[in-house]
Amino acid sequence: MPVATKESSVTTPEAATVAADLRDAIRSSDLRLSKYNPLPRILTFDDFNQGAHGWVELGGNYDGRGTLESMDEHFRDFRPPQLSNANFFDVGTHGGMTGTYSMKLATRKAPGHTATAIRRLTMSGRGLLQIEAYLAWKVEANLGGGEEANTYGDISWDANSHPSEAQFGAFTVATDLSHDGIRYHNVMRFQNSDWDGHIVQKWMYPTVAEPTPHERFRGEHDYGRYTDFTAPNPDDWRFLGDTRQEACYNEVPTKINWHYLRFLIDTRTRSNVELQFNNDVYDLRDVPVPPYGEKYESLESLLNFYFSVRTLGPHRNFLFLDSVVISADW
Amino acid sequence: MRQSQSAVMERGVELETVHETEPFEAAWAGEARWFVQFYREAPGSTIEFRVQISPDGINWLDHEGVAPMTSEAVGFLSIPVSHFGHWLRLRSEQKSGDTAPMLRIYLELKE
Repeated sequence: MPVATKESSVTTPEAATVAADLRDAIRSSDLRLSKYNPLPRILTFDDFNQGAHGWVELGGNYDGRGTLESMDEHFRDFRPPQLSNANFFDVGTHGGMTGTYSMKLATRKAPGHTATAIRRLTMSGRGLLQIEAYLAWKVEANLGGGEEANTYGDISWDANSHPSEAQFGAFTVATDLSHDGIRYHNVMRFQNSDWDGHIVQKWMYPTVAEPTPHERFRGEHDYGRYTDFTAPNPDDWRFLGDTRQEACYNEVPTKINWHYLRFLIDTRTRSNVELQFNNDVYDLRDVPVPPYGEKYESLESLLNFYFSVRTLGPHRNFLFLDSVVISADW
Repeated sequence: MRQSQSAVMERGVELETVHETEPFEAAWAGEARWFVQFYREAPGSTIEFRVQISPDGINWLDHEGVAPMTSEAVGFLSIPVSHFGHWLRLRSEQKSGDTAPMLRIYLELKE
């Protein structure tokens, strides 16, 4: 019986170095890609001036008749991604980092609501896998109201800080991966504020696997509409560290400054490796990636990434993605 | 090839007298069409639909070129839209009837 090999052929070290140098040189002269630092093989490059590139609303699983009721309630409303020109009441069209358009994920004005877009691939190798993006997070601008509109949580308007900064809950970058029957999620969340509008601004990760529709089918849970689908119990989240992640919200909800994000994982070991946010780099090798206990079929070599944004108050929260690059070393 | 997007704006929302879809950015699109399906019908009701536009996603007004459409809350309907601004939403209002329908609403956009 022929046995399928799982490894690609490797060239000599000298040739590999030359190839890497050549790749770097070519990339650095590419006006669109030079802002990225991808692994050798770029699987996807999503410039949202040319459409959504397969990023789609995360949908729940439904029965053979397509009934809404068969879908987990907290999986029914992740909202369609929008191709946005970042249009605001005060300045008009803000545009993207490159070109006019970015992809915007927008929540409802409902505490706990999450908007999520997912990108679905499969993996043709094992090893390092990376997602990079230029992104910005904002809250819908508010017009009108009384003096109470000038304060939210920790922040009162002082012509420098703006209460909308305390109205942004969190954004998350994560995977949904499965191979050899073992499914797992690598998850990193920027928690900006808490339910009371107190500033947090730290990275978090869950210590449990995401609840599944099959578990609901078996009667093990039935979560409500505004549940945190990634890990519903706040006690199942841990901060990456005590250090506050400084960032550039930039004072008001209609100024967009693009931030660089890079999340590196290793599918060979099913582990996290590194998170980069602008010039801050976090070693994630000790951050756990809890696998599911049950074996999965129909998901062999699943390679999904998702971005989500979650509001903790009655304010629409937005995550803007200028562009996204997914790359691998296989 | 023309860019296009289908957005499921509501998957099954109870119409509690008035419902407005979430603000949706459509600056890139030249034409649009709403589809409304009564996921749960409410025969004997009158529902009015208005296409609304906005320059900023905050302030809204009725599209001057699309007359309000009324329905008896059964079946399926669609409303074409062009010459909109950068934002679109659909306003649904139950004008009469004792039972509330459940709506499934799609927005189709094309360059």
